[in-house]
Parts: sequence; C-alpha cells; structure tokens
Amino acid sequence: MFSVSGVATQRDDRGRSFHWVDSLWGLAVGGAGGALGSALLATSPARGMMLGSLFGLAFGLLFAYRATSSGAGLIWGLGAAFLLWLVLPVGILPLLAGSGGTMAKLADARDQFPELVAYLIFLGMPVGVTLGFRGSLRRKREMPPFLWWRAIIVGGFAGVLGGMIFGRWSSAGDFFPLIAGLGEFHSRMATVGLQFGVATIIGSSFGLLFQRDVRGYGSSMGWGLGFGIFWWFLGPLTLFPLIARTPLDWSADHGGELFGSLVGHILYGLILGIAYAAIDRSWVKLFIESDPLNREPEGPGLLVLHSLGWGALGGLAGGLVSSPVMIATGVLPKIAGLDTPLSIFRALLLHLLVSALIGMTFGVLFRRESSSIGLGVMWGWLFGVIWWYLGPMTFLPLLLTGEIDWRASTASALLPSLMAHLIYGATTALVFLLLERRYTQELLLNPRTAASELRRVRPVGTPAPALWFFALGMGVLLPILLG
Amino acid sequence: MHPLFRKSLIGILAGATASLALAPALGRPLLSVVWGIAVGGIYSASLRPTPRAYVDYLLTGAALGIPLWGLISVIAVPLLSGQMPEWSAEQMRSHFPALVAWVLYGAVLGLITQGLTDIAERVLGPEIANISPAPREKKQIVILGGGFAGMRTAECLEKQLQRDPAVSIALVSETNALLFTPMLAEVAGGSLEPSHISTPLRSSLHRTEFIRGRVGAIDLEARRVILDTDHPPGESSSRREIPYDQLVLAVGSVSNYLGMANIEKLAFNFKSLLDAIRIRNHVIEMFERADREPEFIRAQTLLTFVIAGGGFAGVELAGALNDFAHGILADYPNLRREDLSVVLVHAGGRILPELSESLARYAQGRMEARGVTFRLNTRLTDVNPGVVSVSNGEIRAQTLVWTAGTGPNPLLKSLPVEKDKRGALVVGNTLELRGCPGVWALGDCAALTDASSGKPCPPTAQFAVREAEVLAKNICAELRGGSKESFHFDSLGALCVVGHQSACAELAIPFVRNKSVRFSGLFAWLLWRGIYLSKLPGLERKIRVLIDWTIELFFPRDIVQTIDLQ
Ligand SMILES: Cc1cc2nc3c(=O)[nH]c(=O)nc-3n(C[C@H](O)[C@H](O)[C@H](O)COP(=O)(O)OP(=O)(O)OC[C@H]3O[C@@H](n4cnc5c(N)ncnc54)[C@H](O)[C@@H]3O)c2cc1C
Repeated sequence: MFSVSGVATQRDDRGRSFHWVDSLWGLAVGGAGGALGSALLATSPARGMMLGSLFGLAFGLLFAYRATSSGAGLIWGLGAAFLLWLVLPVGILPLLAGSGGTMAKLADARDQFPELVAYLIFLGMPVGVTLGFRGSLRRKREMPPFLWWRAIIVGGFAGVLGGMIFGRWSSAGDFFPLIAGLGEFHSRMATVGLQFGVATIIGSSFGLLFQRDVRGYGSSMGWGLGFGIFWWFLGPLTLFPLIARTPLDWSADHGGELFGSLVGHILYGLILGIAYAAIDRSWVKLFIESDPLNREPEGPGLLVLHSLGWGALGGLAGGLVSSPVMIATGVLPKIAGLDTPLSIFRALLLHLLVSALIGMTFGVLFRRESSSIGLGVMWGWLFGVIWWYLGPMTFLPLLLTGEIDWRASTASALLPSLMAHLIYGATTALVFLLLERRYTQELLLNPRTAASELRRVRPVGTPAPALWFFALGMGVLLPILLG
Repeated sequence: MHPLFRKSLIGILAGATASLALAPALGRPLLSVVWGIAVGGIYSASLRPTPRAYVDYLLTGAALGIPLWGLISVIAVPLLSGQMPEWSAEQMRSHFPALVAWVLYGAVLGLITQGLTDIAERVLGPEIANISPAPREKKQIVILGGGFAGMRTAECLEKQLQRDPAVSIALVSETNALLFTPMLAEVAGGSLEPSHISTPLRSSLHRTEFIRGRVGAIDLEARRVILDTDHPPGESSSRREIPYDQLVLAVGSVSNYLGMANIEKLAFNFKSLLDAIRIRNHVIEMFERADREPEFIRAQTLLTFVIAGGGFAGVELAGALNDFAHGILADYPNLRREDLSVVLVHAGGRILPELSESLARYAQGRMEARGVTFRLNTRLTDVNPGVVSVSNGEIRAQTLVWTAGTGPNPLLKSLPVEKDKRGALVVGNTLELRGCPGVWALGDCAALTDASSGKPCPPTAQFAVREAEVLAKNICAELRGGSKESFHFDSLGALCVVGHQSACAELAIPFVRNKSVRFSGLFAWLLWRGIYLSKLPGLERKIRVLIDWTIELFFPRDIVQTIDLQ
C-alpha cells in the first residue's frame, strides 16, 4: 500500500549536505540542457542557460530528496518541467505582460508548445535522471535491491510482448506509431523490425527506470502511460528527426500531425505497463512472495474476488453519475445508433454494464494502491483518462466501424466525453475505495492482519504525484492543445 | 480539536489563499474565493497528512487542478448560472485560461495545505489517530472445541459481528486444526496425506483469538474456563483462566469402550488424525513382520485386521483398509492374498443402520466381493495380544480398531447440568443449556431435539454445522437483544464409500418430506467425492486433496512408515 503518505518523505540526516551537491549537479545539468534547448529553439542561449540553471538548482533543492531512482527522478523531472511551463510561459508571464489580465489564451499556449518540448526533453529529463541516479546511489542501502538483469529481462520481455500485440494491430493498418518521424523505409520488413526494436528499447528502459516503483498493475499502467507520453516527446518529436537528419519541428501544428503517434504511444505504454506488472508480479510471486519470510496472512484469490465485486459496484456508480454527461455529449446516442428514447434507454443499460465491467478492471488493477480516499481518487482520474484513450478513441470506433481514427481532429471532437470519463474514473475510485476501506478496517480486527500491517516495511515512496500531474495533465492538455 | 475539523479548516484557509490564482481566469473574485474555499476544504479533509511532503502535495494539487477545471469551469459554473454547458471542443478550448488557473490554484493549495498542516502539527501537536477508542467493556464469547461445531460457530460469529469491536471471540481447542473426519478413512487407507484433511484454525479464523490448550474445568458460577497447564507435573505454573460472558461447548465425544479395559488398552481408536496415522503405520508394520514370519499361522494372525462397529466410520474404514492392504501386497512377494483378511464385527443384524436395508445389503455384498468378511450379530467381549474374543468365538488377529461406541467428553462429567443417558448435555431448541443462561452446547456433545419434528438430532457433522449457524444467530440476539431461533433441519441424506470407486447414497428429495432416493456404485462414489471435496474447508486443501486423488489413480499407495510404533 503506497501513496504519498505512505511514502514518508523521510529526509535522511545526511540529507542537507547532499542537497547542496545535488543542487550543484542540477545547476550544471540544467544549465547545459537549457543552453542546448535554446540553441535548438533558436532563442537566446544565455536566457536558456539561466532558466535551466535555476530549474536545476530548484529541483536539486526541492525535489532531489524524493528522486530515489533514475525512474523516479525522470518522473519528478517531467512533472516539475511541465509545471514550470504552465506557470511561466503560459501562466504568469502573459499575466504580467498584461494580456488583458488573464492567462495565456489557447493560441498563445500553442505558440509556446516548442518551449514545452524543450522543457521536458532538455530540463526535466536530464536533471531528473541525473539527480535520480545520484539518489539511487545514495540510498542503495535503504532501498530494495535493484536487479539489473531482472529489469532488462522483464522490461524487454514486456516490451516485446507489447510490441507483438501492438505490432500486429498497427501493421494491419500500415500504421507504425512508435517510429513516426523516422521517415519512410523501403522494405516493410525493416519498418516492422524497427518498430519492434523501438518497442523493446522502450520496454527495457521502462524496466530499468521503474523497477522499484512498480508495485501493482494499476500504478504500473499509470507509469506506462506517463512513459509512453514521454517517449512521444523524446522519439518522434526529437530523436527520430535528428536521426533521420530532418529539421526539428516542435510546433503545435507538427505535434497535431503526430497526434496519432501520441495515441499509439499511450496505448503501447498501457500495454507495456500491464505486461511489465504481470511479468514482474509473477516474478515476485514465484521468487519473492513464495519465500516464507514474506508470507501474508490472507490467502490468495480472496482479495481479487472482493476487488472484482467492489470494482463492479464502483463502476456502476461511476456509470450512473457520468451518464447525464454521456447523454449530453452525445456519446450514448452514438452507441445506440438511433436517437429514439428506447434506444437511448438500451444504450444506457449497455453503458452501465460496460461501466461495471470496466469498474471491475479498476478493482483488480488498483486494489491496495492508495492509503487515503483523496489519493485513491487521483488514480481514479487517471483511470478515467486512460479509458478515454482506450474507449471512445480506440475500441468504440473499432467496434462500430472496424477502423481506428487517431487524428487530432477526432480527439478534439471527443473532448466533451473526456469530462464524462474523468467523472466516471473518480466516482468509481471513490466508491471502490470506500468499500475497500470498510473491509480493511474489518480486517484490522483480525490480530494476524494487524500484526502483519505492523511488520510491513513501507518502501520509500514512489513519485506517484508527479506521475498524476504529468500523465493526467498531458492526457487532457494535448488533445486540447493539438486538436 | 477534531481531526476532520482541523483538516477542513486548514483546507479552507489554504483554498482561500490559493483562489488568488483563480481570479484572473474565472473573472469574478468572489466566485473564485467561494470555489477555492469549497475545494480546499474537501481536498484537505480527504487526505491523510504526511509531514513535510511539500513536493508531493504540490504536484498532487496541480494534478487535481485538471479535473477540477473540467468539473467546475466547464460544467458547474455554466450550470449554476442557469446555462447548459456547451458540449463542444471549441467551447472547452475557450476555457483554456481557466485550465491553467486551476492547475496553479491546485499547486498553491497543495503547498499551503502542507505548510499549514506542518505548522498545526508543531503548534497543536500531532493529529489524534482517527481510530475510535476501544470500548472499555468488551463482551467475551468463548468457544470450547475446534471441531465442525466450534469452528463453524466462530466463523458465523465473525461474519455477524464483523464490525463490532465491543465483542471479542476466543476459541479454545486441544488440536490446532479442524479435522475433516469424512476423509479420515482415506488417511488410514493411505490415499490422502494426513495434513491435507486438517485445516489450521489459526489461519481459517480471522478475528477470533485462537488458544491451543486443554480445558480442565469449567466454573459455571464464576463464569470462567480453566485450562490445564502445559508444564510437566512438578513444575509450578499458574493455570490460565479465561473469563466468559457467553460460553459455547463444542467439545465433541470420545470413544466409549463399554467398560472393557483390555479393549481400551489394546484397540486402536478411530477418531483423530493421529489415530489414522497410527493405523496406517501399524498395518505396514504388520506386513513387514508377516513378511519375515516363517510360521504360516502367525503370519495370518498378523495379516488379520478386525474392525469393531458397522456404522459409517467402521464400514468406510474397513473398505479403505481392505483396499490398502490388497494394494500393498504386491510389495511383499512372500505373502499370499489368502492370508490377508479384514473382518468387520457388528452387534446388529445389518451394517449401516443409518441407511435403508437394501443399500446396506448392497454395501455388504460389494465389500464381501472385494474380500471383507462380516461377522454380524456378534459382540466383542475381550481382546488379548493375538486374539480378539467375540460373543460367538475367537478371531486370531493382532489388530483391532474400535468404532463401536461413543461417550461423553470427560470434561462434561463434572458439570452440574442436565444430561441424557449418553451423557450428552441436554439443550433447549435454541441450543442454550437449560438453567444456565449464556452457556450453549452443540455438536456431538449436545442432546438436542429438532424443533419441528421433535426427533433427536444425530451426532453428525452435517447437523453440527447447521446447529452452529443457529447458535451464532442466537448469541447475537442475546447480545443485541432480539428474538432467538429454534433449531430445525431436515437431513440431506447420507453417503458412504464402500471400496474402490463405489459408494452408496441415500439422499433426501428437496421439498418432499420423508422421501429419499437411493443409489449406489460409481456415480454415488463420484458424488461422494464431489460433495465432500466442496465441503473441505480451504481452496488450498481442496487442491492438495485433488492432487492426492489424481496421484492415486496412477501410482501405488505408499508403504513408507512415518512413525515408530515400537
Ligand atoms: C471416522 C469418522 C467419519 C465421519 N464421517 C462423517 C460423515 O461422513 N458425515 C458426517 O456428517 N459426520 C461424520 N462423522 C461425524 C462427525 O465427525 C462428528 O459428528 C463431528 O465431528 C462433530 O463435531 P463436533 O464439533 O461436535 O465435535 P468434534 O469434531 O469431535 O470436535 C471436538 C473438538 O473439541 C476439542 N476438545 C475436546 N475436548 C477438549 C478439551 N477438554 N479442551 C479443549 N478442546 C477439547 C477437540 O480437540 C476437537 O477439536 C464422522 C466421524 C468420524 C469419527
């Protein structure tokens, strides 16, 4: 059970002196990143360097103690860089510039899109990964052991698996989202092979970065989502044009053209996250939890069954609460096909059924992920966004028309239903968590469970808050910005 | 200060401050402050504070800003001002500045909430844990016995008292596992591993405190149970006493040897797991000895196994031992099939008095065909090493297993309460002991009549678990003040395995009183396995037993001796 609160932000006693070293590192890496980014953006390198250095310094001072591994550092870095973009060029600067006493309008924010890419790739990523790596060295003894080979094997395997599921599907439509931006290839073999190669690289880097942070299926899916979005910025928007020696184009228009690839990355990230968690959980089950030292008092299976039930109830509640928005936004009539009251009623029933089923997946994926209702609901919002990409963006058109349409304009048209999905996710999570909490309180009357709770060593926390912000923010913002 | 109040207050303050970020985008300052305060209060109240988690809550708050934008700026604000939200991408895009504002609001809210929480903690002290204080006076329910009756009572009480911390439940038992007696014969016959048919009470019960110990006495006056000491005699130690408010007696019964001291000394009992393990090891021991026995008569004596009692337990054991003995014969080339005999001695005119005559006849015929000898209308009179004396002669045998009679648990003898002629405790329809409020009895140790038919309830597991369900309800009614239920249950029928892949069954027809169907053979045997497997508690045990049964299909029975009988 982890969460921000489980996390315990215990600063170690040696902490202070390290913060200064971290800040210096942050300063240097941020400065270099800022200079490089501004060179690519063709803006003033001095300004870029200064901004980068300040970012690095602040990150070293404030975030570094939470960056306990390279992966955690990356996510904290991306979250911080995204926040910086929203606060500075989009939030406060237009306000100060006196643009009608309001924050940036959409068009202005679109103009700032290249800055966002630069912040993420040249500030957030390098500073976060560097300080995270330092953090992992420093905390070597407190953290669970890191197994390189496990990370690479499990991650690579999950990557290949994800690539296979995804590859079959995307090559059928002759669409290779993971290598968008690399240019055209002569042979189809080369294209498929390359797509696979990239999938594997993403998979094993995922394992290397997040081995310690992946606990449950749900959070792993969240990690996959965040990592997928990050790869879209890194690969198709930055690295691939550099490799293909085509000019870098970070404009919102180009981003809009690559929107299909973004959805592809998101879906691939989700598959990767689930596959990674499944393989990793089996690994943990076979080699770690089977160790009598780690035995849990509760038998296997019981919690899964409970979670399915609570998830179904939560999903039903989520379906009910979100249905007015679903009807208003025209999603339900679309499912029904016809606009007659009877078919709306049928569509509503179908919607509730599907809601309950999807709620069950929430139950299984996100059980025991959160220690408080508030934090649990954060996973719920994320779950809602995930299902927006999976449902109306992917499965629904696939079911209705047999084709998927990942264009930015389609996403834009579907924006209103994103609201319904957010409401659905949060309600499902809320109801699920209330039911789960009731059961946990009962369980604690069981002296064996209470004793095991006391014995449980809480791992130093994961960067879940940064992930929520980055994944939720990008998941909602990008279709608005690029559509 | 109540923790929730404190948290909400912090949230309201933080929300009010952070709403500064909302004002430029929402336009109306007052509205921004109202929304800011409302969201801040809910946000702070729903989180569990963690000291100094600034960056965590900075980004959590910022993340929260995104859905808040959708819920409030896109949906709630238009609705509250009497307009329908326009569900178009364009309209949502026009709210973009508000999105940025909500993210900033969230980030500031997160930071300030954290700061104020830390200050409050320093100034006002740590938040009092939100755990309701344990009620000072707890009601203690004590269950004696971890058999079907005791275990099921505890399970039902756990379910019914789920969230009631004012009641504590304790179960005291001599053994730390529930023995699934219907499969005991298969352990004696070497088909099943002993531990696979016993379920540990500690891991099956959740909030019940399990105490392994032997109850030496019950003080009904002082309302406490006294445990025998575990220490060897001579070593001083205080005896543990457990006070109770409600006492459940489920201590079962013991074998009754009808006063025949020799039988008590020399015969094997067949009630516990250890009994079954002993019998199996003893049978193998007899085969080993017979194998090196040059004298033909003595070898035959070693290979004769007498079972006293033609009820379910005796018949099932005879069938299982007969299969086991014949199965392992292949490993002893010096022994002949003719030297081996399993004899069932029964005082009545037919075996299985619990079943109809035709089925009993089928069972007997089937078992005779497989090599079991029956001595009906025969009473056991004495036993001496190598000789079992019966009312009409003698049987030369080294092995006698006693399943012919049960008596009251010795613990009950000293209790000054009403008992029936078996020595079982007479209880009313609600399972409460007459004249002893708060003391209940069930299972094999209780004499109970069915409330509807007026017939005495048989001492079987089938009845014990149903009694437990009613008893748990009645205890809850007693504690909470409600009406108690009288016990009524129509038997579902009976199933008895008579040998390899054959059984006989007599099952009640649902909703038709006093009518039953009877059948026998492979189908009855499959039904037996299916039903009892489903009744065996715990998924893990079910899987283990299923694996044992599967192995038995392909491999011979094991002849490894696991305990030393010397
Ligand atoms: C071989 C065999 C086969 C059977 N097959 C069937 C069948 O197929 N179907 C069926 O319905 N019934 C069957 N029965 C009968 C069934 O097992 C009993 O009716 C049932 O076990 C009664 O349950 P109980 O809880 O009352 O007593 P028990 O199961 O005997 O449990 C008594 C418990 O009390 C504990 N105890 C005793 N004295 C003390 C003490 N002084 N201090 C602490 N603890 C104590 C014991 O350790 C034990 O845990 C069978 C019985 C046997 C022996």
